[in-house]
Amino acid sequence: MTQPTDKAVTDSAEGLMPLAHDRLNAQPFPLSVSVAIFWLSFMCFVAVVGPSLMPYAFTAIDLKARLSLPFTSLHWLGTDELGRDVFSRLVISIRISLLVSFVATIISATFGTLLGFLAAHYRGWVEQTVLILADFQASIPFLIFALAVLAFFGNTLTLFILLMGIYGWERYARIARGLAIAANSQGYAAAVRQLGASPIRIYLGHILPNTASTLIVSMTLVFPEIILLESGLSFLGLGVQPPMTSLGNMVGYGREYLTRAPWILLAPATTIVLTTLSVSILGDWLRDRLDPTLK
Amino acid sequence: MDFEQASPALLAVEHVRKRYFARAGFLSAPKPVDAVVDVSFTVARGKTLGIVGESGCGKSTTGRLALGLEAPDGGSVYFDGVPLPKYGSPAWRAIRRRIQLVFQDPLAALDRRLPIAAQIRESLDIHAIGDTKGRDQRVLALLTSVGLTKHHASRYPHELSGGQRQRVVIARALATEPDLLVCDEPVAALDVSIQAQVVNLLMDLQTDLGLAMIFISHDLKVVRQVSHRVAVMYLGVIVEEADSDHIFKHPRHPYTQALVASSPTPRQKIKTPMLLTGEPPDPAARPAGCPFHPRCPKVMEVCRSVPPLAREISPHHHLACHLSEPVTLEAMAS
Amino acid sequence: MIRFIISRVVRAALTIFFVMTFSFIVLRLSGDPALIIMSPDAPPEAIIAFRKAWGLDDPIWLQYFHYFGAVLQGELGRSMRDGRSALVIVGERIPATLLLMVPALMLKVGIGIPAGVYAALHRNSRIDRLVMSFAVFGFTVPSFVLALVLVLVFSVGLGWLPTSGADSWRHAILPVITLGIGGAAVLARFTRSAMLEILGQPYIRTASAKGLKWSAVVRGHALPNAAIPTITVLGFMVGSLLAGAVVVESVFAWPGVGRLLVVCVSNRDLSVVQVILLLVASTMVCANFLVDLAYGLFDPRIRQAPRGAGQ
Repeated sequence: MTQPTDKAVTDSAEGLMPLAHDRLNAQPFPLSVSVAIFWLSFMCFVAVVGPSLMPYAFTAIDLKARLSLPFTSLHWLGTDELGRDVFSRLVISIRISLLVSFVATIISATFGTLLGFLAAHYRGWVEQTVLILADFQASIPFLIFALAVLAFFGNTLTLFILLMGIYGWERYARIARGLAIAANSQGYAAAVRQLGASPIRIYLGHILPNTASTLIVSMTLVFPEIILLESGLSFLGLGVQPPMTSLGNMVGYGREYLTRAPWILLAPATTIVLTTLSVSILGDWLRDRLDPTLK
Repeated sequence: MDFEQASPALLAVEHVRKRYFARAGFLSAPKPVDAVVDVSFTVARGKTLGIVGESGCGKSTTGRLALGLEAPDGGSVYFDGVPLPKYGSPAWRAIRRRIQLVFQDPLAALDRRLPIAAQIRESLDIHAIGDTKGRDQRVLALLTSVGLTKHHASRYPHELSGGQRQRVVIARALATEPDLLVCDEPVAALDVSIQAQVVNLLMDLQTDLGLAMIFISHDLKVVRQVSHRVAVMYLGVIVEEADSDHIFKHPRHPYTQALVASSPTPRQKIKTPMLLTGEPPDPAARPAGCPFHPRCPKVMEVCRSVPPLAREISPHHHLACHLSEPVTLEAMAS
Repeated sequence: MIRFIISRVVRAALTIFFVMTFSFIVLRLSGDPALIIMSPDAPPEAIIAFRKAWGLDDPIWLQYFHYFGAVLQGELGRSMRDGRSALVIVGERIPATLLLMVPALMLKVGIGIPAGVYAALHRNSRIDRLVMSFAVFGFTVPSFVLALVLVLVFSVGLGWLPTSGADSWRHAILPVITLGIGGAAVLARFTRSAMLEILGQPYIRTASAKGLKWSAVVRGHALPNAAIPTITVLGFMVGSLLAGAVVVESVFAWPGVGRLLVVCVSNRDLSVVQVILLLVASTMVCANFLVDLAYGLFDPRIRQAPRGAGQ
């Protein structure tokens, strides 16, 4: 239904409130945000189509061309200690690191939001359990937690992603619980419940869409932390396992050749920093625009 | 006005009690607060019961108990002769079709992410009333019936004025053709200029649709206008209940008298104004005896220790006050 | 106040209990340590003997009870590698870790808090923007990258400092700087936003409107109030000192607890990892406890009011 020229509101002295998205559109992108968006789009592009553009297989060993300098016609970013093409390895690393971080962020957001909603819906001991678990999770440095789980359960890519998917769940759970309780007690959710709606309709149809912007902002704040965590663990040799490679993995193995071939680790290190920086800039900007209450 | 005994009441609330626990601190024991102490009333089909009182008198809690949004700690609520089902159960959800609520703050009651047509339609979707096309038509008809047009259908709540939003909430409440509509301070959040329009709308709809209504408000004038019967609440109890015209002309409870005196109508001669003194009521610190005794200008010794019971002092006029008790009158006469 | 302390002690005990249970479950479910420790071609009798010696053939709940009983008696098991007490193995690494952590913490506080306060007081100035960019980099540059860049510049490039090892105080400089810079950035950002929030409060305007000198307003009203959120972050930092040590000690081959953890995790040395987990949890709990007490000092309301998210 289109909006024809309708008559002025008759029964009110109040004017129309400004639209929320007008406020968002009115402000131009700051330069830093534009650059951040560009970089992230570029990274996603590399992750998706990069492998088909790679000059070499990322595991292809060429012992004759070991530690070749970068910016040559054969190897744009040089080669590593086994003569593997750094550029090709970088492309695969970006793909793997983004995949791990992205899937982990989704898992953590889904899992956390679900627990938060369950806590808000059932209250009582369910809520207490979720809160105690959240407190516990928040009070243990995740790196230590992850180290213990990883090394003792062995390490597959699936397990690693699932583990990263635990990171930050407690933040979503707390936010989702708080917002759902508020909505249930006096807001639209109480209204829809009193209409006779089922809990599924209330939570998925109303509370989730209304909390989405806050949750998305939280995701952009957690995402860079997951990238750092993934690369940190991989750097220690306890994350993504060879022959597969990730950004942290490349830095970790390149460390041995810091003096002779710094290019092996400089390219992935720069990529990590630029990517986390971009997501942080974007996240801060989104937070200021969408949800200034979040810290 | 002799409708009460004609048919069994649509809603019968019998001796309900509700106690909340206020947490004063992290570890201190929660403090009990009696929001509703002992409340009984009935609502007849097609009639409006007004509930008036100051804030904190338990009128909203009474409304929520009547709606079944909360379970009473004691007593029972019968709707159409049957006890209200357990909160949240499928039977409870089904009965929502017949009992609806109009909120005080329409902006909070509406989902700001959905156009209003979708929100009105939601009641129909939930209770599977009609087919797709029929629902669309019904939404438009409802919009018209509350004084909005089809041009408003695709608007979002924040694009409407306060009065229009309340009209949307009313339309949504009416979508399932309920038997009972509970209006909890429906105009308190609106501009004074708009209040009358919404009140008139509610009255028109009530007459047209034959709704029963519970109209909760602190505003005596509005309650007088819309109600067939009026119940006056003070600190969790109904102190006086009578037909609307009767109670405003012949208030018997000192509290009702004070309320009526403080809210003059144009044709009424102003007698000596009876002003309330003392602290406003605090449900967390109920006085012993009659809850009104610390502020009552006619307080007697018995009021300080014995809570008065509600009695029918004349047909359809219930009063809970020691002043009207025969024993007390005799005692005063002697 | 006594109730307040009791509730905190109960919470602390609960956390420790959780960590113990967690570490027990994770470590026991993770596979058969006998097969991991012994060489694959070890005779079956040797494996059975190993299991018996370590109590690994008992039912899991019995192991759990034994584990708790042992922990309460201070018996935290022995390294499955060389049979030495796990507690001793971890204990002898603690001084090395502290040698990095204490100066790093001083660096964080010494740079982070003044920078944050200054930035907040001179909002939108050039220095504020400098502090903020510094803070953003602190958040986004992983510590291992920072460490490697420092090594590249100061050891490889300039040749001023050793790349790794722990032979002299000069070896400690780069690790301390790595830890300090990252933490200072986090602290600066928190202090700044805490200060800004306080400076926007009505009572600050009131205080300056009634003619109090601005420096007195800042010292008397703004700083004590901004201290509360800052202390929380600081508490978390103290509590997670060991976590920070993991990466940095690995990069610089520093013989501390963090490096021990990485090595033991790779070797699947259950007892030692358990001890480190308990050590981390205890540090965390103690830090939280101190923060709570500090709260009570700075803000008497906290003693009464409930804390935490939600309503």
